[in-house]
This record gives sequence, C-alpha cells and structure tokens, in this order.
Amino acid sequence: MKRLRKTFANDTWVMPYLRKYKGLLTLVLFLGFMTFFSGGALMFNSGYLISEAARQPTSIIYIYVPVVLARAFGIARPSFRYVERLTSHNWVLKIVSDFRKKLYESVEKKASAIQRSHQTGDILSILADDIEHIENLYLRTVFPMVIGWLLYLFIVIGIGALNWVVGLLMLLLLGVIVVILPLASVATNGTREYRQHQIQHSFYTNLTDEVLGLGDWLISGRYTDFMNLQKKPIKEIAELRRKDHFYQWWRSFFVQFIVLLTTVTLLIWGAYSFTASKSLANWVAAFALAIFPAVSPFLNISQGASEWPVYRRSIERVNQLDQNQVKPVKQTTLTEPFKSLSIDRVSFRYPDGNRDIVKDISMTIHPGEKVALLGPSGTGKSTLLKLLVGDLLPNQGHIMINGKDVAGLQEVRSALFGILDQQPYLFDTTVMNNVRLGNVNASDDDVKQAIAAVGLKALIESLPDQYDTQVQEAGSRFSGGERQRLSLARILLQDAPIIILDEPTVSLDPITEKKLLDEVFNLLHDKTIIWVTHHLAGINHVDQVRFLENGHFDMQGTPQELYRTQPRFRSLYDLDRGKTAESAIE
Amino acid sequence: MIDKRLFSLPGMKRYMGILGVLVFIQALAVIVQARYLSVAIVNLWNLQPLSSIVLPTSIFIVAFLARHLLTVAQNRVLFPFVETTSGKMREDLMAKIFRLGPAEIDKRGTGNIVTMALEGIDQVQTYLMLVIIKMLDMSITPWLILIYILFIRWEQVIFLFIIFPVIILFMVILGLAAQSKADRQYEGYQHLSNHFVDTLRGLSTLKQLGLSKRYANNVYSVSESYRKETMSTLRIALTSTFALDFFTTLSIAVVAVFLGFDLMDGKVMLLPALTILVLAPEYFLPIRNFANDYHATLNGKNAMTAVLEVLQQPEMKQRDVLPAFKWDEAATLEVDQATYTYPNADRPALADISFKIRGMQKIGIIGASGSGKSTLINLIGGFLAPDQPNQVAINGTKLPHLDQTAWQKNFLYIPQNPYLFHASLADNISFYVDNASKQSIHDAAERAGLASWIKTLPAGLDTMIGEGARTVSGGQAQRIALARAFLDTDRKVLLFDEPTAHLDIETEAALKQDILPVFNDHLVFFATHRLHWISEMDYVLVMDHGQLVEQGTPAELARQNGDYVQLRSEMEAADL
Repeated sequence: MKRLRKTFANDTWVMPYLRKYKGLLTLVLFLGFMTFFSGGALMFNSGYLISEAARQPTSIIYIYVPVVLARAFGIARPSFRYVERLTSHNWVLKIVSDFRKKLYESVEKKASAIQRSHQTGDILSILADDIEHIENLYLRTVFPMVIGWLLYLFIVIGIGALNWVVGLLMLLLLGVIVVILPLASVATNGTREYRQHQIQHSFYTNLTDEVLGLGDWLISGRYTDFMNLQKKPIKEIAELRRKDHFYQWWRSFFVQFIVLLTTVTLLIWGAYSFTASKSLANWVAAFALAIFPAVSPFLNISQGASEWPVYRRSIERVNQLDQNQVKPVKQTTLTEPFKSLSIDRVSFRYPDGNRDIVKDISMTIHPGEKVALLGPSGTGKSTLLKLLVGDLLPNQGHIMINGKDVAGLQEVRSALFGILDQQPYLFDTTVMNNVRLGNVNASDDDVKQAIAAVGLKALIESLPDQYDTQVQEAGSRFSGGERQRLSLARILLQDAPIIILDEPTVSLDPITEKKLLDEVFNLLHDKTIIWVTHHLAGINHVDQVRFLENGHFDMQGTPQELYRTQPRFRSLYDLDRGKTAESAIE
Repeated sequence: MIDKRLFSLPGMKRYMGILGVLVFIQALAVIVQARYLSVAIVNLWNLQPLSSIVLPTSIFIVAFLARHLLTVAQNRVLFPFVETTSGKMREDLMAKIFRLGPAEIDKRGTGNIVTMALEGIDQVQTYLMLVIIKMLDMSITPWLILIYILFIRWEQVIFLFIIFPVIILFMVILGLAAQSKADRQYEGYQHLSNHFVDTLRGLSTLKQLGLSKRYANNVYSVSESYRKETMSTLRIALTSTFALDFFTTLSIAVVAVFLGFDLMDGKVMLLPALTILVLAPEYFLPIRNFANDYHATLNGKNAMTAVLEVLQQPEMKQRDVLPAFKWDEAATLEVDQATYTYPNADRPALADISFKIRGMQKIGIIGASGSGKSTLINLIGGFLAPDQPNQVAINGTKLPHLDQTAWQKNFLYIPQNPYLFHASLADNISFYVDNASKQSIHDAAERAGLASWIKTLPAGLDTMIGEGARTVSGGQAQRIALARAFLDTDRKVLLFDEPTAHLDIETEAALKQDILPVFNDHLVFFATHRLHWISEMDYVLVMDHGQLVEQGTPAELARQNGDYVQLRSEMEAADL
C-alpha cells in the first residue's frame, strides 16, 4: 500500500488522465457492469422462467414477462459487451495520443542537438513500450477490477437486502476472490517479478553479448562454451515459469473452490428460506443458475492484479522523466546580425563526473572564420560543442553571441546555428519533406534548388518518384554520402550564420569524404564554421586549427603555420596523406 | 484455425492421447455436475427439506471439484512436454545462431534474434499451453454434452447442433473481412506506429533545426489518426466476437424460452429441462474459450513461425573438407575466379577474383567504399561462400568455401569495431586461448601497448569491460584485439577490416607503432582506405566495383601508373 501511494505520489501520467476523460471512463465502467449483469440476469430469469413454467400455470401471461426478458437479456449481453470493448479501446487509444505527446515533450526538453550516435534509441523504445504497458494497465487490470468490484457490491447488497446473514457470507466469500487473492497475487508476484526481471535482464544482456560477438565465437571454435553459457539462465527461467504456472493453476482452482462454497451456500439458503411456498421455490433455480455467469468477471481479477508490478515499473519510469528538469532561463532575441561568438574562460564538469571535461577555455570567433577542432576521443570536443549551442551550461565562464549569453538565445537558436553531424537523421517520409525541414516555409523550388546545390539533382530526378521518393527507415534508401548531402541541403535552407560540423565524414571513404568537404566549404564559404574532425583530410579549408587535449587547447594556428613550425603536426599530416610515418610519434 | 505444425512436434501424439482421456473424463464431470445441481434444485422446487438435497449436492460438489482438478491435471500433464519442446527449441535456436554465423544474424538484426530467443520462445510456450488443451476441449466436450442431451430430449439437440456451424461460419466470414481490411491497412499502420519511435530518434536533428517544440502537435495528430485507423479495424474484428457472443447468448435464451413453453404444455418435466438449461452454456463454453484466447495465441503462433523459419535456414555444409593444418611459410591460399552474389542482388558483389598467396606476407586491400573490400575479407574468413564450389583452395585442396574448421583455427579477424565481451579485460584478451597464464596475458597486453592504460584501471587486468561496464575507446578496443593476436601464437593469419577507420589521426599513429611488430611472422590481409598503411605492405590488391583490377607490390603498381595510382591521387590531400 505504501509502495502504491509512493508510485502515485508525484504521478502525472495516470491519475490526471483518469480525471480528464472521466465521462468516457464512467461509460466504459457502466457498460462493463451491464455486460455481466445481463449475463447473470439471463440465467436468473431463465431459471425462474422454467421453474414457473413447470408449475404449468393456466395462462401464458404468467411467463410472458420472463419470456420477453430472456430475449432482451440475451441480446443485451453481447451488445453491451461489444460497445464496451469499442469504447474502452477508443478511450485507451485517446489516452495514448496524449501520452505520446507528453512523453515527446518530456524527452524533448532534455534532448541535446549534439549527439554522436543513436544508441539512445534503445532507451526510447523502452519508453515507447512503457506507454503500451500503461495502456494494458487500463485494459487488463483497472477496468476488469473496477467492474468486478461494482458487481461484487451489487451481489452483496442485493442478497444482503433479502437476508443479511447470507449477504454477509457473500461479502466474505466473494471478498476472498476480489480482494484477498489479488492482494496475495501482487505480494507473491512482487518478489517473484523482481527476481524474474533480474534473470531475464541478465539473460538478455548475456545473449546480446554472445550474438554481437558471434564472429569471435565462431572463429574461436568454442561451440560447447557458447552453448553452456546459456544453460544456467535458460534453466532458471524455466524454473520461474514453472513456479508461475503452478501458482496460477492452483489459484484458479482455489477461486473455483470459493465459487463452489458460494453455490452451496445459496442452495442451503434456498432450502431454508424458499421452500415455504411454491411461488417462492421458483426462485431457487434463478439464484443457483445466476451464480456462475455472475462470478465470471471475478476469475481474471487476480491475473490482472499480478501484472501490476510490471506496470508499476513503467509508471515509475515515465514519472521520473518529469523530474530534474532544467531551470528555464529568460529568453531574448538578437536584433542585429551575428558579430562574434566568444568563449570566455569556460570550465565544465558533468554533475556525476570527477574531473573537468573543459578547463578554462577562451576563444573568440568572428563572422566568416573557419575553425577546426581536433583531439583524441574523450578530450571534450563534443562537450565543448554542447556548451557552444547551449545544450549544457558552463560551471564557470560565459559563452556569448554579440555579448549575449547563449543560454538566453535558445528560442532563436536554429536561426543562429546549423549543425551537420555524423549521422544526420532522415525521417521516414519523402525527400522533399526531409529537406524542407530546414525551413518549413521554403517553396518546392527552394527545396529543389538546395538539392541541386549539393549535387543530388541528377540522382533524385532519376528516381521513379523523384522528389517524392520515400527515404525509408532512418534514410536507408540512400548511402552515407548521399544522406550527408541531403542534410547539407537542409542546412542551406536553414541559412544560419554559424555552422557546426561534428565529424560529418567519419563513416565515409576518403574519396567521398574529400568531395563532401570540398562541397561543404564551397557552399558555406560565407558562413562561420566550427568543424570537429578526427583526422586532417581537408584541413586546408580552415583558417585556424586547434588541438584539444585534456580539456584545453595545446596547439593552435593556421594549418600552414603549424605545418611549418610544429613537427608533430607535420608528421600527422604526412601520415594522413600516406607519406612515410617514421616521425609520426616523437 | 488449427495449426497443423503442432502434430509434427515430437511426442505430440502420445500427449494428445493422454490429454484426450483427461478431457473426456472432465466432460463427464461437467455432465454429472449439471445433472446433480439440477436434481438438488428440483428437490427444493418440490418443497422438500434440506436433507433431500444432501446426496445430490454432495455428488455435485465431487463432480465440480473433479472438473477443476482435472483442469490442473491437464496442465500438469502437458507442462513437461511444453517445457521440453520449447526448451529444445531455444537450444536449437542457439545452436543455429552459432552455425549461421554473423553475416546471417546481422541481416536479421541482433535485437530481433535475441528477442526471438527470449520472448519469442516464451510466447511459443504460452501458445502451446493454451492451444492444445483448448483444441481438445472444443473437439470433445460439446459433442459429449450433445449426446447426453440427445438422450434427454432430442428436439433441443437439433437446435444446438445447427447453431454451432452457423456460429463458426459467421466467425470465419467476419474474421476474413477483418483480416483483409487489416492487411490493406498494414503498411500504413506500421508506418504510423513506427512514426513515434522515428520521431524520438530524430529528436536531436529536430532540435538542430529548431522544430522540436512544434513537432509535439505533429506527434499528437499522427497518433490520433492512428487511433482512428485502429478503431476502424477493431470494429470489424470485434464484430466477429460479437457474432459469437450474440449467437451463443441468444441460443441460451431461446433454449430457455422453448423449454418454458414445452414445460407449460407438459411435454417435458422440470428436471430434464433444467439439466439442459444448465448444460447449454457449458456446450458453448469451449468454443468461446477458444475464440477468446485466439488473439492471445496469435503472437505465439507468429513467434513459432518465425522461430521455425530461422531453424530451417540453410547453413554452410562441408565444414570439414580441409584437413587440420598449421599455416606456415610453405602454406598456400588460392582464390580462383571466385564470384559472390548477395541473395536478391542482380549483380555480383565480387566478380572473377583470382590471386594466390604463399607463406607469411602482408597483403593490402584497397579501393573506394562499395568496391568489395569487406566482401572479399568476409569471403576469405569464410563468413560468405563463393557462388560456385572449388573457387578457393588451401594447400592445393579445393574447397567449397572457406568456412572450414581447420582454416578458422588459423586466423584472427579484427574488424573496425572489435567486439568486447562483457567480461574482465583478461578474459577478453584470452578469449581465443584456453588456460592462458596470467603472465602471458599480461605480456600480450603490454606488447599491444595497453600497459599504461591498465595501470589506471581499478582492478587492472581483472577490470570488467564491455556493455554495461567500463567503456573502452576505439583505440583501446583495437589494442585489445591486437593483444589477442600477440597471445595466440598458433594463429598465423590476421584479417584486418578497416581497423583504424574510426580513429582520430593521433590515436591511429600511436596504434600503428604497436601493430607493425605483429605483422612480422604472420600472413596479414589488411583492408583499408588509409593510404599510409600501403607502404607497409608486400603486396596490394586493388578493388573497384567488385573486381580485382590490379595486384602487385606497391612499387610495381606505382610504376604501372594504372588504377592504383589513380586511386591514390583521388584520396590524397593537397600540399599545405
């Protein structure tokens, strides 16, 4: 219970939506209740009908009402059920739309424009699954449970009104099914679920590890080791499944046992209270027959409840998204054109880090300048870029455009920075739509012009659907170089004064790389360019090279200057060109 | 509706027999239960005292308990079979993954395969547990009940008997309609459900373009149109359930009404009438259960199809044609007019490749991307088989392909991103060598230039690395792969596939110093587009559009002034 309260303490995902759509929710619950009510009533009425008919009354009038009711309930039950299912699915899908938007907005607030890979995709899929879990929470746990409780109350009150002792017995007996067993299931499953999650998780990671390293397994010829590695988790999982199944079977049996006790109670009650007169005795069959359909919704309540731990984890995870949101900074705009980008004694360390990633860096970039940043991985290149565009805020120092802090220019950021990174994302839509994302107000002609500028006109126009060609998932229709060009076209449309190139050529071969770089610097010759690169191909395009080592600059100058004065730079450059590498490492 | 593949599972027939008997006894219990509940009710209806119902109620209780105990018993009997079957399937799948090798698995996606082995098999298990018993229940229980009713009163039997096929007919018709509509929508449907993940993945791009905030409404409206599409399909699917529900429920009502009229006319007594009424829902219960679980079992059915499909994949055969040998100075590898075509491709990725290698040499493979460098390495490593047999030979033995156990024991493969297992650094280094001593691992690590890095690690060589543990940079990963080569002195062939393409120039320069010594007493294949490696090679293969356009020593090729010179000039940067 405490855990339940904790789960919902700061909940912004479940409760608010229950409130928002309470009209539809009430309808769903009402329809669900009516479904089972009609099912029970059909048998109740039928039991009465044939008991009365067996007395062979003189006129058909005596059974006329039950006859009409039998047909009415017979039609009502499936109809209510049909409408209930449609309404509940519709309700849940409505909520899902809200969820998706909400999830998107939460993730969006924390997302960074500088990203080296799409690894986070996995986390995002988990979040997308969480939404489906919450969808199931409603359909499989909340609705059946609430409907079951409504029916439970109805039965207890209905019978209690006739005989309070029997009503009390029903309260206790059926209470075991609808309250005690679900609670017990949550308790048993809570611990088991935790263990199961652990085993599954380790099996999952081990197996992924094995499959990803399959090449090494194969070449090493260690077939037996490969197979043995999975034996233990497979056995453990089987063990868990077995326990889970046994528990479910015996729980169902126990539920049926309670149903039996209920039926026998009703029979005994019938023997005591309904054998006084013939007209009263007609009700015995009614009660005895109604009990089975009436309790049918109770049978699955425990199963729904036992799934709760899975849902709880999802709810907790999505609720966590709303925590630690960054403090908003007051936003301004730039009225004048870009004049300078200055980094003023900036230091940065991640909240959970133990060292400064960027240490006391200063630098000023003027319009039209081209700067290359180099350095081994882990020296803070991408951190520096994140600081530049304002995705991270420095612990010390300032980053300013025309003297205004970038943190306060976030709303106009896309008018200031254009970014081309390692794997620019193409959305699963047409070429035209993808390029137009650079400037949503661009006309078709503008888009075509941009595509022509990056040298893809011939290729695109040779495709059957031309500019309406679908790029397919993550742009897989096109090669790496073509994807970069499409993104470059997007940046041309965006027309921002500062362009950030974040290792855009890392996965390209040298010829494609060279062509792309020539093109980028040619098309963007009037822009300010900050280029993070991992090697020296195309370095002749820039005015300034800076080597970042352990968070600060250690070599800087024009490429020509460095080549003349710095042996280290010269040997690296020669190595990159395929000249002898003897002096590469001093 | 019924899955024929189930009958071909080993041991299935025997279990079907045992379960059939249990289901039969259960159906009898259902009848007895209905009968004696009715007897008890009729006695009370006749205003008899409580004592008159003790015996029938007791029989009812016993039958009721027997019925539900039998459910447990059926599950209990079936479970070991399902457990063994699915367990074996999981093991077979693992073995298959091993035999299919990385090329095939990559094509299917690691995530897919892992999910299949984990959740897929679980779903198969659920499917088997549900479907076998339900199927038997549906094919035994209703008919036994019908026969019993036939003995009581045949008029009702006709009605119940006729309504059954009508129900099935309606379900099939509506099911087909829903299916075809779902099929038509499937593409658009997939598109919509992928859209959300697509958007999330492209979030940083949207942020770069300043569109991320605005996109929230797009997410909502796409999701809403998804809802409308889904609902229109669901409406038809639910109509099929509705039909089933409608006919079964209404049938019970009709039976009740007819019995009522017959009772009034004195054509039937209360006891038989009541028994029929109690049995009517039981008659429909199996088909309702079957239909209710139908959608739940669909996932399992699809999962089983997917698993069986992988298990039936053809794998490389004749993996032991080559006798065991050790690569040495005299050993030869010959590739003779080898061609390789990817499945479903219209032109070969490698065409007419011929070269011959003897002993310890350093072979560079160069070419633009898409020229077939990696495909050639994969062919040499045996991950891909040439289109025709006998296009490759080792020591003069003609082979169908190079996926030979004896060959694999001779080489190490070092790709762009060597895979690091979630294990200690020492275990990663000694992956290829059984019982390597701590000292030898340490020496290998030192020769690979890892010593200074290891000193910074908390547990030295015992530090856990790989997924979920300490992250390792690209340069260090290459060094770990290199340490494997230093440690394993038996493997004399090294296949490098662009090992430095992702590294920054300084890291590459440093790494090169440590790689060069290992070249000495090895046969090395080195696919790269970093030019400086070429000067270290004895022999160069120049690839272009799947063809081997030139081969020779670097000096020879430079003199020839052909493709090699052309390629170099295209790749080379300008003077500063």
